[in-house]
Amino acid sequence: MNKNYTDKELLSAYIDGELSLNEKKLIEDKIKTSLELQKELSDLKKIKELTSGSVDRISESPFFETRLFANINTQASNRFNYKKWIPIGSLTLVTLTLMVVLKVNPKLIDNIVEQQKSNLAGFYKENLQPLLYAADLTNEDIFNFAVYQELPLDSANQQILKLGFDPAGTEFFEIKNASNISHASNLKSFVAALDLNEAEIEMIDSIIGSYSDQLSSLVLVNDKNSVAINPNIWNTRKVILADILAFAKRFAGQNYSKILPTEVAELDNKTIMKWVSDAKSVKANQYIFFTPDSIFEDDFVFDMDEFKEQMENVKDELAELKEQGVELKEFRINFDSAYGNHKRNTDKSKRYEISVNKDQIKVNVQDFAINIPEIDFPDFDSIAIIINEATKNIYPVIPPSGSVVVGKNNYNYNFNSVKPRNKKGEVSLDSVMHQRNTENELKNNEQKKKYQNQVKTGPDFNDSLMLKQNEELKKEMDNLKKELQKFRQDFTKPNESDSGQSKKSKQKVNPVDTDEIEI
Amino acid sequence: MNYEQKENMEQPKILTLDDDFSLIKRFIDGDEAVFAELVKRHKEKVRNIVYLTLSSSNSVDDIAQEVFITVYRHLKSFRFESQFTTWIYRITINKCKDHLRKRNVRRIFLPLSEEEKEPVLESINEDSDIKEIVRSAIATLPDKLKIPLVLKDLEGFSYQEIAVYNGM
Repeated sequence: MNKNYTDKELLSAYIDGELSLNEKKLIEDKIKTSLELQKELSDLKKIKELTSGSVDRISESPFFETRLFANINTQASNRFNYKKWIPIGSLTLVTLTLMVVLKVNPKLIDNIVEQQKSNLAGFYKENLQPLLYAADLTNEDIFNFAVYQELPLDSANQQILKLGFDPAGTEFFEIKNASNISHASNLKSFVAALDLNEAEIEMIDSIIGSYSDQLSSLVLVNDKNSVAINPNIWNTRKVILADILAFAKRFAGQNYSKILPTEVAELDNKTIMKWVSDAKSVKANQYIFFTPDSIFEDDFVFDMDEFKEQMENVKDELAELKEQGVELKEFRINFDSAYGNHKRNTDKSKRYEISVNKDQIKVNVQDFAINIPEIDFPDFDSIAIIINEATKNIYPVIPPSGSVVVGKNNYNYNFNSVKPRNKKGEVSLDSVMHQRNTENELKNNEQKKKYQNQVKTGPDFNDSLMLKQNEELKKEMDNLKKELQKFRQDFTKPNESDSGQSKKSKQKVNPVDTDEIEI
Repeated sequence: MNYEQKENMEQPKILTLDDDFSLIKRFIDGDEAVFAELVKRHKEKVRNIVYLTLSSSNSVDDIAQEVFITVYRHLKSFRFESQFTTWIYRITINKCKDHLRKRNVRRIFLPLSEEEKEPVLESINEDSDIKEIVRSAIATLPDKLKIPLVLKDLEGFSYQEIAVYNGM
């Protein structure tokens, strides 16, 4: 104890037993000699007794341990109650994981999106069937598609697939509601113009017909209102055209150059074969899918053989239904409701551009089309008219019955032996057609220029051109009529023109026959 | 009393430092069940210190529970540099001081009618027991005097121990 403590403090420590031996001896000596300290000691002892005696011990708590351990468990569980941290922890963990994963594999999100797209694409690809199969394409349709770039998508010709060029020269194809398609008998005219024989006609029919299935597989539809179009349809059209040209060049001989424009006529077989080869090298299984959700490009393999096999099986059922008078509804692509959301779509690679409106789906294909120059064909309608008119004009020249006795020996000149589309000097059909081709070439060039300037008026343009051509043709036919009239007059009055045949001129021509010669 | 009888007699348990230390070591080694033994040994001392320090039986068990929960949480970090009792009583005194501090703070914001009733001298009359008078008087002492007094006179701690418990 510190020696500076007062005696009173030392007394308190003395009672508490906190003094060292020396201090204890010192204070005891002092107590012996001091009555005051003795009294103070006595009082302190009494206070000590009072304070110690005043203590009431608190009663035992029987459930103290139970409560304690319950509290410990509760607090321990609260302390390690990780449940409340689960959401935040999970979120943090996921974020960190994503950060790490994306750092390692930056294309993960793109891949997932592609996967989902693929799943969605799979849904829309189910049960795709060729739309054109229902259209029951004829050789005429295919020929017109090759020449005029329009293909009916249904037997009623309510919707068509049209190929064309936009003002920038980019090739496009579109599905649209048809106004009308009036390219009738063009194939027939073409065959007639080439003057093909039966075997050759069969051959051209076979060639054109062989493209029917291929064309069918290029436009597919299903019950989910998905439409899949193979951009290769542009190339297919060119291949058909090239094939037709190759055939015409091989079998039609001189007639080929007569009906076709000069630029086409000069094409050699090698060039044509190269076009076919180029077209076949284009990836054929790539389709552009139009669905109510999206427009996308993807690979798709359509097994035409399997489909045809299935069709064989259902053919009988269809025939039965037809007999029962059940009308089968034709599929129509509903532009308005299904594709209304797609205002404009362009794929990342800019390989094609798609626009959809209430009347059409239009796809610009910049890279799909192979490099085959565009060919301007003559107007086959006008060729048909020329041929018909020319044939018509020649036919009445033939005396209908009997023989005319000419000369002393009653030489019978049989007019029936004169063939309408035959020999030299009678009617120059070749020259007319050649002239027509030249004119058509000029007109087609004009048409191209005009088309580039007035794209919107395109559909009306062909009609107006045809009307104009028909009018001109009419004038020419009038001239032809006059020539024939003159020819008839010359023919019926041989004496006036040839004195050496005076006797022949005395022969009378039956008035009935004359009437029949009248046009 | 023969030898056998002596053998059968329950030997008195002598509480030594080693006893507490060995229990703590076992606890650190993973035998948490021994904590119950530590509680059993020291709970009444702790409860009485709290009771005498607060001069009230209110909240005694709550504070004593807090003391043992704190001991439980930190027992594995016990460094064996002092007696276990020194450590646990110091924790007890600190908990009591915290409680008194909070009570004083609460009192500032409570209206007079809701103030916690304190043992006051006014309640002492001539009939009152002398022990009650002393108890009331001790209760009125400031904490810095009351706590050492309680620890010394009522619980018999040495000055050294009291200094340690009070963080001196």
